[in-house]
Amino acid sequence: MSGALLRAGGTLKPGLPPVFACLGLLLVWQLYARTLSVGGIPDALSTVRELPTILGDRESLYDILDSLRRMAIGFAIALALSVPLGLLMGRSRLFAALVNPLLMVSYPVPKAALMPIIMLWLGVGDASKLLVIVLGVSLPIIYHAYQGARAVEEKMLWSASAMGMSGPARLARIVLPAALPEILVGCRTGIVLALITMITSEMIARQSGAGNILFSALDMAQYETVYAMILVISALGILLDVAFEYVRGALVGWSEPRHDLAPIPA
Amino acid sequence: MSALSRSEGLIGIVPILALLLLWQAAVSTGMAPPALLPSPLAVLARFAQNMADPAFLAHAGITLYRLFAGFLIALALGVPLGLLGATNRGVGAVLKPLVRVLAPVPKIALYPALILSLGFGDASKIVLVVADALFPILLATYQGAAMVEPKLVWSARAAGTSRGGTLFKVILPATLPSILTGSRIALVVACIVVFLAEMITSTDGLGYVLVRAVRNFQTVEMFVPLIAISVIGLALNGALALARRRLLAGFPDED
Repeated sequence: MSGALLRAGGTLKPGLPPVFACLGLLLVWQLYARTLSVGGIPDALSTVRELPTILGDRESLYDILDSLRRMAIGFAIALALSVPLGLLMGRSRLFAALVNPLLMVSYPVPKAALMPIIMLWLGVGDASKLLVIVLGVSLPIIYHAYQGARAVEEKMLWSASAMGMSGPARLARIVLPAALPEILVGCRTGIVLALITMITSEMIARQSGAGNILFSALDMAQYETVYAMILVISALGILLDVAFEYVRGALVGWSEPRHDLAPIPA
Repeated sequence: MSALSRSEGLIGIVPILALLLLWQAAVSTGMAPPALLPSPLAVLARFAQNMADPAFLAHAGITLYRLFAGFLIALALGVPLGLLGATNRGVGAVLKPLVRVLAPVPKIALYPALILSLGFGDASKIVLVVADALFPILLATYQGAAMVEPKLVWSARAAGTSRGGTLFKVILPATLPSILTGSRIALVVACIVVFLAEMITSTDGLGYVLVRAVRNFQTVEMFVPLIAISVIGLALNGALALARRRLLAGFPDED
């Protein structure tokens, strides 16, 4: 048993401490709810027991999957637009000077807060939610693609153009791979922001989705559902992060490992 | 160099102006009905008018108070935790997996739980801001402190500096650039989160002003709090850049 948990060096398997951390947090919650027994706060055990009813219910499961579908589409669109834009900014000083102030002005505006205005134009359906997610995810990816493209070794670009590589080809075959580790840092921030905008947009346009279940349950004082949904959404965030780590390892395992716990979510 | 960067700054106004002109053109030509999209001039006029309105300023003040309270608490927690996590093995072993689990959780989803345990007032909003602003600061501090040149620490120790002394005299100053970078991200996040929290419970603050405008279908009013939070974010960013230049004189500028 302990042999399976330990690696050859006698250290714990890398995936284990976070699992212990999850269990520890649930335990703290359980003790907190039990000892203080504040009204309205269900304990961890009964919340976990509530999970099968939510995930087993066809309608709420469909709602959650619908949220994920929107998030994935919005993220993909944002990626397709932001990466070329960021790379161009990194390679052209003029272009960066042109676009940067606009990005700085829009950074502190909460994109989900645009939802009520966008709803006036595009309705409460998928289109406005997708647009808000795209806006929310784009900025960090643009910023990191820009930083990554700026740091590309000039000599590599000179050699490539000396060998007759055209501008767009240099961007795609040299700048993009070199900036990839940095772009992925932006993507991780983007995933967290996609989740936040997804939930808030669904809270504002109460039509479907995980955010809708969460805040409707809050309004109707179904506290078990509220806490269970918080658990579901948190688990989504953690699972997406773990999945992202795998993708990053596969794509840029060659790049220098960074001294980090996890990249900075903005 | 400075002349070049000044002209670059001027170039940057072009897309913003172009966007405003396009917006105005869409309204003037009647492509967008004014009920759905007010003209930018009307929005700016209302913004200027609101800046003299004590009720609006009170809402902005409440938002600023929550923003600063949350940010400062996050700073007071994040920097020591990050330093300890990077310099102390035991603390690091507990902190790392906890952060690994908690950092990717979308904190806004915790807000209903915060409302239920702390009520609708300032406390739940400030705690939400702390939860969101803490991780950028904590992570940046940790990363910065983990990358401090060990030789600097050894030399200080060899020269007779105590353990605590090295923490304050060597590691903390060497980590300062990272802490400021983390703070910058945390401030943007704090702006976003405090606004969203005020939209959800909507009793006061800039987020409430937006929700009130939506309920009354006042399209001009909807844009005003959004401009206000953007201005606040820009001002805070500028203040932080100034502090950075003061604290880190001679250090390369970050942008």
